[in-house]
Amino acid sequence: MTLVFALAAATIFGFGAYLVLTNDLVRVVAGMVLISQSAVLVVIASGLTRGAAPILPTGDERPSDALVQAMALTAIVIGLAVTALLLAIVARVRATLHSLEVRELARDEAEHTAEIEQSQEPQLEELDRDEAEDEQ
Amino acid sequence: MTALVLALVLPWAVGALLLLADGRRRRWGWTAVAAVAANLAALVVLAVKVLPDGHETVVTGGWEGGIGIVVRADALGVTFALLSSFVVLAALVHEVLDGVRSRTFPALVVLLCTGLTGLFLTGDVFNFYVFFELAMISAYVLTAYGDDRHQLGAALIFAVVNLVGSFLFLIAVAAMYHVTGTLSMEQVAERMAGVEPNAAILIAVTFFVAFGTKLGLFPFHFWLPAVYAGTRPAVAAILSGALANIGAYGLLRFGAGLLPEELELGSTVLIVIGSASVIYGALLAVSRRDPAEMLAYSSIGQAGYVLVALGLGGPVGLAAAVLYAILNALSKALLFLSGALRGALVAGAFAVGALSLAGMPPAAGFLGKLALFHTGVEEGSVALIVLLFCGGALAFVYAFQLYQHEFWRGSRVKAGTGLEEAAAASAKELAAGRELPIAGGAAGSDVAAEPAASPVAVRAVSVVLALIVLALGLWPEPLLSLSSDAAAVLHGGAR
Repeated sequence: MTLVFALAAATIFGFGAYLVLTNDLVRVVAGMVLISQSAVLVVIASGLTRGAAPILPTGDERPSDALVQAMALTAIVIGLAVTALLLAIVARVRATLHSLEVRELARDEAEHTAEIEQSQEPQLEELDRDEAEDEQ
Repeated sequence: MTALVLALVLPWAVGALLLLADGRRRRWGWTAVAAVAANLAALVVLAVKVLPDGHETVVTGGWEGGIGIVVRADALGVTFALLSSFVVLAALVHEVLDGVRSRTFPALVVLLCTGLTGLFLTGDVFNFYVFFELAMISAYVLTAYGDDRHQLGAALIFAVVNLVGSFLFLIAVAAMYHVTGTLSMEQVAERMAGVEPNAAILIAVTFFVAFGTKLGLFPFHFWLPAVYAGTRPAVAAILSGALANIGAYGLLRFGAGLLPEELELGSTVLIVIGSASVIYGALLAVSRRDPAEMLAYSSIGQAGYVLVALGLGGPVGLAAAVLYAILNALSKALLFLSGALRGALVAGAFAVGALSLAGMPPAAGFLGKLALFHTGVEEGSVALIVLLFCGGALAFVYAFQLYQHEFWRGSRVKAGTGLEEAAAASAKELAAGRELPIAGGAAGSDVAAEPAASPVAVRAVSVVLALIVLALGLWPEPLLSLSSDAAAVLHGGAR
């Protein structure tokens, strides 16, 4: 059973990682959702006992570990909050860049860096010249 | 007990309420400052009780430990909590005086402070994850704070990379629970020795990757420069001075505290990765011109030192790691806060930060470097001493290259083209530690009037921070005993 859980978690993590590496921002967020779900699956699988639902043990059967259920619930809630946050950032990116592509984001940043460097270069050259003159 | 509860509950409640208010108004900004200050005060009370070697435990809801959530303050946790709370307070005061630009900023900073305090004071592995996410989620939003739209891209990358790190951490926590059957740090430390080596090593590696990502160590650093480069100075100071402590604390607590055998096994790997971080960060910092980016690469290098000290281990090495993490956080916060300001005394404050980063006396950073050298000599490792020397020399080069770019050449785009040599020089004299009235430097600042001097109050924050860094360098005893007390928690076993 543990093997099944491990395989399932690994597969989900793999699909999530693949989506995170794609070009579409919404898919990146979907990939993060999958990765968070695989973590939840691992948490559930790490339970020490398996058996009936731990809500009201009747005595006939061993209940399953309740602690991992609580942990999984917390992890799911955190995962939900994080997904909402990521989607909000993506929405902001779309509003300012009018694009949902990672490449666009990278291009925009590269242009921005180039702009900064260009605006610095002339001044620095001028200062270098001044310094050279001073030394003479 | 009251102090412990207060340190957690008060900022959490205030932070949650502040989310409803408009943080751009001054009074809400000051409310946030008051909440963080109260948190700091409670931590100081707690530190007085806990130090040098005590600890204080609270179990929520009156349950037994192991069922209820354990909050546990010991020397190591309190030290890091104090440090982070102090840096957050300095950055928050700086930003409130300078004018907050977004509704949610004060609330997020207070919540981040809550998350950090909880994380350093928790005695439960899973709660560590919960507080960790509380701090990180606030940080994700804070990186997008500011006027620059390019920050959004950086915030997205930051969030995605660090979330993958967080989920890896969660997986490692689950694995740890599975093999030890407990979440309490004390019990985990006891039972970890009996765990099958394969599982223990896998868990240790996963923790290492998770914290390495937070700390921005060499192979996991790629997200870091883009994030630091565009943020507001206050946010950059919080990220590098408070949030990066999670990585250092995590490696210390989980590595040296919970998984000591695995740490020893992997010590060569840690030293190699740490050395690579030191050299890589320093070299790239030297080659950068943008101040924020330069400091970002320098952070990668400084994280490497902590890792090297941790890898060497032993009482001396662990104390050096704690000390170095504290000093690096303080000097980075000082550099980020003072770097963007203009006017009298600022250059002096920046110079103190630069000296501290480069490890020159009388600034406090010297102690960190000294402790690392001490570790190196103790281990008899020539390679380490050479590495430390090279790293220190490179740090000196980039720190003063930065100083020159910022304050002597007047080449900054945002600040206009004024040359401020006179102002910088007069302020630099003050850096020697002489107490002169602020008006003394003001005469110099009207030489070049273009980049308007920042408000006196904002500058005062940086100057106070600089004086603290100087004072710690001149009177190092309290800091040294604090770091060795904190390290004693680890090598005495996490009792």
